[in-house]
Amino acid sequence: MATRLYLSNDTSARAAGAAALAEAWADRSDIQLIRTSSRGAFFLEPMVERDGADGRIAWFNVSPQDLPAILSGKGGTPVQTIPFLARQTRWTFANFGETEPLALDEYQARGGLSGLEAAFRLTPDAIIEELRVSQLRGRGGAAFPVWNKWKVAQQAKGERKYVVANADEGDAGTYCDRMILEGDPFRLLEGMLICARAIGAGRGYVYCRQEYPAAAATLRAAIHKADEAELLELDGEPFPIEVVEGAGSYVCGEETALLESLEGKRGVVRARPPYPAQSGLYGCPTIVSNVLTFATIPHILSRGGAWHASLGTEQSRGTIALQLGGRVKHPGLVEVPFGLSLRQVLEEFGGGMAPGSRFKAVQVGGPLGSLFPATGLDLPICYDAFAKAGAVLGHGGIVVYDHETDMVDLARHFMAFTADESCGKCTPCRIGSVRGREILERIQAGSGTMDDLRLLDDLGETMKLASLCALGGRAPYPVLTAIEHFPAEFRNKLSAVHRQS
Amino acid sequence: MKQILNQVRSEPANILKSLLALQEQFGHVPGQTVPVIAKMLGVTTAEVAGVLSYYPDLRTSAPGRHVIRVCMGESCYANGCGRVLRELQERLRADVHETTPGGRFTLDTMSCAGNCAVSPTVIIDRDLYGRVLPSQVDRILEKYT
Ligand code: SF4
Ligand code: FES
Repeated sequence: MATRLYLSNDTSARAAGAAALAEAWADRSDIQLIRTSSRGAFFLEPMVERDGADGRIAWFNVSPQDLPAILSGKGGTPVQTIPFLARQTRWTFANFGETEPLALDEYQARGGLSGLEAAFRLTPDAIIEELRVSQLRGRGGAAFPVWNKWKVAQQAKGERKYVVANADEGDAGTYCDRMILEGDPFRLLEGMLICARAIGAGRGYVYCRQEYPAAAATLRAAIHKADEAELLELDGEPFPIEVVEGAGSYVCGEETALLESLEGKRGVVRARPPYPAQSGLYGCPTIVSNVLTFATIPHILSRGGAWHASLGTEQSRGTIALQLGGRVKHPGLVEVPFGLSLRQVLEEFGGGMAPGSRFKAVQVGGPLGSLFPATGLDLPICYDAFAKAGAVLGHGGIVVYDHETDMVDLARHFMAFTADESCGKCTPCRIGSVRGREILERIQAGSGTMDDLRLLDDLGETMKLASLCALGGRAPYPVLTAIEHFPAEFRNKLSAVHRQS
Repeated sequence: MKQILNQVRSEPANILKSLLALQEQFGHVPGQTVPVIAKMLGVTTAEVAGVLSYYPDLRTSAPGRHVIRVCMGESCYANGCGRVLRELQERLRADVHETTPGGRFTLDTMSCAGNCAVSPTVIIDRDLYGRVLPSQVDRILEKYT
């Protein structure tokens, strides 16, 4: 009989070698390859598993010639003993590595759809009350209480209401939405349906970035399956969900720009108010939340808001999906309750620095996130502590830079990013980012002055205060924190006469 | 062209979707076609031109046979995407946004592919490569003619 082996079909697992394994073993009749999602321990990918007496046994960083060892059972590690995984608290990511992403029966067997069933037993008000008790905050940028937004949309009048999942996960260093779309798509659909029921929406959209082709394809297949299983309906009415792909603009991750883009226009930011919950897509009440937020909701309905509120810290309840990248030894996805310090996360999960690297700085929250030097590592990971430090958690991406990083070049890199991606609607961002980049290029070329550093500071303050959205408003943070924590690197690059002053 | 636009026709006209559908079919959307598209969609030429110029993924000229995109996101940056890009520029003797003579490759950069945990990332057409070292660039390019 063929031996059943499990291998992730996730984009990053494939890139790490899973695709090559599947290809190399395609003709083997002695194995049956089950393509699961990834557990997110990407440093171990490609990881091959098989059933054991007490759960799965795994082989790490497998190459095609390791097959005989796997088939004979030599050298495997019980999955539950892998420290990177054992130390996590997995709720949203509990199915990862276990199930086949498009197997609806497996999803259901592991508790899927019970949140939706619970929602059907409740009134819309009671659903929103459950969300209020859970204290769930949006897992995107602004961390706004989810129930509040739903309440506004529920009460708003509109010919139609919409539920929009923001799958435009544009922050570099983040990939948890991609993993959900590829690895557990029914969880997103379930969360969207619960929201639709609560606010009375008749149609759903998933705005997926073009950079995630596998995610869009999996999601479309999942929608098709859900439709066949007659899941895409509410109170006897169809609730169609469509996947719409973007075209490479970072600002389209901002909710109002996303709506413009969904309508087929230039994805520029709209002034608020009105908020999308009052007047969103085609002027109708619309809930826009990111994939992770929707994916968190089924458990809240099935286990109760109080359960969710019992995890995490005072102002940040529940778990957070951190995504480790850059020069850490163990890059991958980590789901833990809010409140661990950055240091704990980097040491206990990240495993310290990649071989040959020394720590220099860590950035949390994508290209607009602040940089922390080693002295900043004791900050607890939760919304309040980050806000107090003038930083953002964003989408939970954590990128570690090592001793080889040139901080002036990194700062220029950030400003160039903002200049490229600015939607152009407001002057501080459109002009400020270009000026900022020019100044940093001047410093890099060795002709900068002390005045240039002061100018960057001024420019940063203007951008922070006067920009319409987070791109312009947050863009100065990585640059200014780089200057603040690594001033010598900037001073050493100034033209010779200015170095002393 | 008409057939494609009819397929994606939605109420009201969705310019971005229409342009993406055309690009999917023809590889790019030439600037001269803007007035025709506008007429068919029932919108102004300025609106179509505005959308066409706004989105980085919409092309107004044909790319090479293979499009190489190097991720410039932070995780890739930390893991040396700059060195990979320089290697590609040297091998191809092309700069970012340029197409090699003969049209074999177009070199582009991109923002995060969500492949950060196995970065740096290079995407060629639909193939995604992770943990790319400059020394591997040659071997990867060989696969594309
Ligand atoms: S801050 Fe920048 S991206 Fe945001 S609205 Fe203004 S110009 Fe557009
Ligand atoms: S930063 Fe390059 S794939 Fe995410």
